[in-house]
Amino acid sequence: MQIEKFSYDNKIVRDFGIATIVWGLIGMTVGLLIATQLVWPFMNFGNQYTTFGRIRPLHTNAVIFAFVGNAIFMGVYYSLQRVLKARMYSDVLSKIHFWGWQLVIVLAVITLPLGFTTTHEYAELEWPIDILLTIIWVVFGINMFGTIIRRRERHMYVAVWFYIATFVTVAVLHIVNSVELPVSMWKSYYVYAGVQDALVQWWYGHNAVAFFLTTPFLGLMYYYLPKMANRPIYSYKLSILHFWTLIFLYIWAGPHHLLYTSLPGWVQSLGVVFSIMLIAPSWGGMLNGLLTLRGAWDKVRIDPILKFMVVGLTAYGMATFEGPMLSLKQVNAIAHFTDWIPAHVHIGALGWNGFLTFAILYWLIPRIYRTQLHSVKLASTHFWLGTLGILFYAIPMYWAAVVQGLMWKEFTPEGVLQYPNFLATTLQILPMHMIRAFGGLLYLIGVILMAYNLVKTMKAGSLLKNEAAEAMPLQPLTKREPTAHRRLERKPLTFLVISLIVILIGGIVQMVPTFLISSNVPTISSVKPYTALELEGRDLYIREGCVNCHTQTIRPFRSETVRYGEYSKAGEFVYDHPFLWGSKRTGPDLHRIGGKYPHKWHFDHLLDPTLTSPGSIMPAYPWLITQTLDTSLTKKKLEAMKTLGVPYTEEEIANADADLMAQAKEIAADLNKTDVDVREDSEIIAMIAYLQRLGTDIKVAAE
Amino acid sequence: MFKQITNLGGNEWYMILSLLIFVVFFIVVVVIMATMKKDYSDYMKNMPLNDSNDQEIRD
Ligand code: HEC
Repeated sequence: MQIEKFSYDNKIVRDFGIATIVWGLIGMTVGLLIATQLVWPFMNFGNQYTTFGRIRPLHTNAVIFAFVGNAIFMGVYYSLQRVLKARMYSDVLSKIHFWGWQLVIVLAVITLPLGFTTTHEYAELEWPIDILLTIIWVVFGINMFGTIIRRRERHMYVAVWFYIATFVTVAVLHIVNSVELPVSMWKSYYVYAGVQDALVQWWYGHNAVAFFLTTPFLGLMYYYLPKMANRPIYSYKLSILHFWTLIFLYIWAGPHHLLYTSLPGWVQSLGVVFSIMLIAPSWGGMLNGLLTLRGAWDKVRIDPILKFMVVGLTAYGMATFEGPMLSLKQVNAIAHFTDWIPAHVHIGALGWNGFLTFAILYWLIPRIYRTQLHSVKLASTHFWLGTLGILFYAIPMYWAAVVQGLMWKEFTPEGVLQYPNFLATTLQILPMHMIRAFGGLLYLIGVILMAYNLVKTMKAGSLLKNEAAEAMPLQPLTKREPTAHRRLERKPLTFLVISLIVILIGGIVQMVPTFLISSNVPTISSVKPYTALELEGRDLYIREGCVNCHTQTIRPFRSETVRYGEYSKAGEFVYDHPFLWGSKRTGPDLHRIGGKYPHKWHFDHLLDPTLTSPGSIMPAYPWLITQTLDTSLTKKKLEAMKTLGVPYTEEEIANADADLMAQAKEIAADLNKTDVDVREDSEIIAMIAYLQRLGTDIKVAAE
Repeated sequence: MFKQITNLGGNEWYMILSLLIFVVFFIVVVVIMATMKKDYSDYMKNMPLNDSNDQEIRD
């Protein structure tokens, strides 16, 4: 057998690297902007395209899919070629993958501020972009598997297992969570409703964290940490246990996002139990990483790259300890819907994903540019700014969470709420939110320093586009290998199929009964579909992203039923495509807002929230008054809903426009009586109709 | 504290079944891990370190 000469593609690695830096800067800047909006509402710029509700998804999508996504591909394309001793399968596919991914991001940047959103968190993009994303993901998969099949190294290193699991699971998650019925090019409804939609969304949402923010980065850790420390991973055997238990357990944990909601109790409990078990593999992975550095701590003290890795791994350990704690029902009862959750997420995002990405960039860019890092000192400064940034972000947020969480639950000795006005609790935590924004600023400055440092480095060196390499081709196997896992490590497709089965089990056990057994979602006969006007109002609520600040699910605690009204029942959401339960109470819950205030209150409040609620940080929505409600799709929307099982009659659909006008006239007339000058065809009428309907159906039954 | 996972109103089977699946799965993985030979795991461990010619520019 002759040694084969080939080359590694470094150019594609560089391209993804640059995209990582650029999108990182953009995504974090948007994050800083929305942080300031929560303190100073004028930072919404009085403009619908830049209000919090619309650009908060822009921030999350930009950092998850643009910053972290490009970082994953950068890290994977570099390491995959080297551990398999093969060039990427196809340069053309690499290019399509790169440009296709950037196109998806650009489309997100355009459509999200325009208000095109499906509302599923971290999956807000509308259906055409979902399809494009699927195609690009498959391109990535083909390119990866092509490389694996052409490898010159018989066995797949543990990093590659994590990449494979990432690929299959993200594909499954994305497809199941994107089953939508299009109404027009930029509007669709999820086929799932209410409780079931919530279960699908959080199965997806939680596992996007697992399989987009965790498994690929664990794969990267298993490759880059040994490289950076120049010593092998602590235990290869532990990595086997780590890998399989992690991917098995993660998939079950989604329902911990829905504790105390109307999701069936047994699904919630499964979520709790599996979340707690998840500590074990998560910490196994962290320890495997940290122990790799044993005997190398002297290096850690001087090398900013290893410092980033150590703090990154520690942040991972903290976040994966905190997650299971937050899944305990007692803890969740207080922490859920508060700032604890964004703090928790940012420990993971800034510490784990951010710091690992920075370490890899600092390590990789000088290598493919055949030079030294421009300034190690500047990288050290970045490290300290980043670490301080995380502390200044997280500590005030934990503090704010405890303060606000307790205020929500505080009763006077007489048994009434101590802080019946929600806004009082918001105003209390504004100083903490200022410090949080400052923390974000520090972190961003660090990234700007990094960008400068890396650009200087690139200028000083020259890119080695194709790096020469040589290896023996794979020989046919002559003897049977003794152990099962060893055989598996050279069978990529079998590996893929087994991973697929492992990650499907949890989803199937939780979802199939929730969808098929009707006792899991008891119906309520007085709950009726929305009228045409209310449905249009609901779509405005979706467009404006109100769900990013307001929940619509009241938990069965005295502190909530006294504040918001009767707790939410599964049967109340059966026509909600999509569900709008939300995940964060920056503003009060709105599930029973219907009938709480007169129309005029809502009109004034949406025109300028400080009119009714002095000091409010809710954005103003004056354009809802000036803009005319678009009713061109109303009929189609009702038809789509009917297809999805909402019992609209033929008559209701045929008369949709007339019914809508009649209801709008009524509301406008009522407003006119209170001296409000408003057109009956303006958007705000539909919004008010929707808000006034919310949560009222069960009251009808009671009367 | 365990009430939240034991009091499932007739749906305990989901929990028992799920945990059972996990236990079986876990045992299989442990057995596979335990039977792996040391020379092989050493070989795999060193894979990232033997894969490229960038040693000369280590800083
Ligand atoms: C930046 C977060 C934020 C966004 C986005 C937001 N709100 Fe609010 N909302 C608040 C806060 C904070 C309050 C409490 C203070 C107040 O009454 O203004 C509130 C209060 C409310 C109330 C009064 C609730 C009550 O029980 O008193 C309603 C109704 C409401 N919002 C509707 C909406 C609608 C509709 C949208 C979308 C068009 C929206 N909000 C978007 C933060 C937000």
